[in-house]
Amino acid sequence: MHWSLDLSPGSTSPLALLLHADIVVQIVMAGLLIASIWTWAIIIGFSTKLGGTRRKIDKFEKDFWKAEDIDAFYKLHGDDELPVARVFAAGVSEWRRSTAGGVVDREGIRERLATAMGSAVAGEADKLADRLNILATVGSVAPFVGLFGTVWGIMSSFTGIAAAQNTSLAVVAPGIAEALFATAIGLFAAIPAVIAYNRFSHGVNRIEARLVRFADGFHTTLSRQLEAKR
Amino acid sequence: MSGIAVSPILRPIPRERDDRLWIAIGLSLLAHIVLFTILSLLPPSPPPPPVAPMDVTIADDVGLKAGAPNTTVDPAESKAPDIGNPEDSAPPAPAEEKAEPAPPKPQPEAAPPPKPAPVAKPEPKKPAPPAPKPAPKAQPKPAVAAPAKPAAKPGKGTGSTANAIKPKARGLNFGSDYFKGASTKPSPATGTAPKSATMSQQAAMDIGQKIKQQVQPCANRQVNPGPGAERIRVTIRLKINRDGTLASRPVIVGHDGVDDDNRRYQRQVDDRAIATFMGCQPLRGLPPELYDVPNGWSDFSLRYKLPG
Repeated sequence: MHWSLDLSPGSTSPLALLLHADIVVQIVMAGLLIASIWTWAIIIGFSTKLGGTRRKIDKFEKDFWKAEDIDAFYKLHGDDELPVARVFAAGVSEWRRSTAGGVVDREGIRERLATAMGSAVAGEADKLADRLNILATVGSVAPFVGLFGTVWGIMSSFTGIAAAQNTSLAVVAPGIAEALFATAIGLFAAIPAVIAYNRFSHGVNRIEARLVRFADGFHTTLSRQLEAKR
Repeated sequence: MSGIAVSPILRPIPRERDDRLWIAIGLSLLAHIVLFTILSLLPPSPPPPPVAPMDVTIADDVGLKAGAPNTTVDPAESKAPDIGNPEDSAPPAPAEEKAEPAPPKPQPEAAPPPKPAPVAKPEPKKPAPPAPKPAPKAQPKPAVAAPAKPAAKPGKGTGSTANAIKPKARGLNFGSDYFKGASTKPSPATGTAPKSATMSQQAAMDIGQKIKQQVQPCANRQVNPGPGAERIRVTIRLKINRDGTLASRPVIVGHDGVDDDNRRYQRQVDDRAIATFMGCQPLRGLPPELYDVPNGWSDFSLRYKLPG
């Protein structure tokens, strides 16, 4: 195997294809490359973020359901930078405020607790899903952008044929190869983006469902506590 | 509404840390660069299929035609008669003997302008220059030579010959064929033509070989348009710039091996031949000293044949 940088027009190396292409095709390819880089940056960021969050939520819930005293647990973990900890803190602070002046309307307190924790869950889910829309956009648009580059490149190739008065395939083949490279880059950017979008939106949904379950469980606990309170 | 205390229930969600994002972008950028470098450096995956090598031979018949005649010699010669000092160009002594005896005096005009100069310079006078000059007017050389010499005689010496002839020479329109013959002798004397390198058959073969090697990749890419097309041999004429690029589209100057079976592919073979040479320029490594010389590679003809 020998390594060589072949930049001649007939070569299949990506760099050569990019360098010899029409200017519009070059711009399309550069944009798609940036989109691909951005996509992968988001993918890397997401996989570390989601994995870490899931693990920390596991630990938090385990600790929570084992805790004897919720107030003590709140003091210990109430300030954790964790979605589930923030939902927990929202419930606790609403509980404290509602029960500070004595219990008057139990139904009202239950509703307020549910609303507070529900909105906390929604906020966390929103935050988790941040940038997922970029993956969706790249996944759906990149192939079309690549196709545009290809169509443009092939158009200019054919214009070249007309100008050269020569129908030989060898005259147009390099131009068409360069144009097709735009579609290749478009797919190269779009395929990982679509896969990552599906995977991460699924991950975000699961975390959101866990937060909802946790909020429901905490709500029942508080609700039970409310019965005992007077 | 003074009694309501507004305080946030939800803790604010901190923004994602930027440094982590930048690390992710850096990683992703690095991965892309590595991937593209590897793809760019990898040898082309499909090794070129073993194609029969393209048949390039030197088309000497056309190649010889191509060279321009040596233009460097001609101007030197044409100037000389105009200036009026042809004496400088070395002439052999024998001229005088011939000139003097030859003649009666058919030309009265020549006599009046006798010049004093004669003695020293005239000696070198060559018979050749005077004789040929008048010649052009009347085609046959020998015939004219006789009248010319008489003119010289009356003028006492050869000096007069020079004078007498010069005026005539100015108006002359040399036929090119004639001129060639005349110029062959003086050209070595003037030494203006730098003829260090010449195009030999061997050199032409070498250049053809070099061009063939360089267009081989493009030739291998050509597809046979149909059965029998590989029998067509195309003579293609390249106009090459000094830097090895083609100065213009190659021109097809002839065909060989065209028969009824493959006649319809002739045009496509032409296109492929042109595409082959257009695609693999610039041609490198051709000897620069053989560019300008007669039959040099500024204008080079090759035979091309499809592989197979």
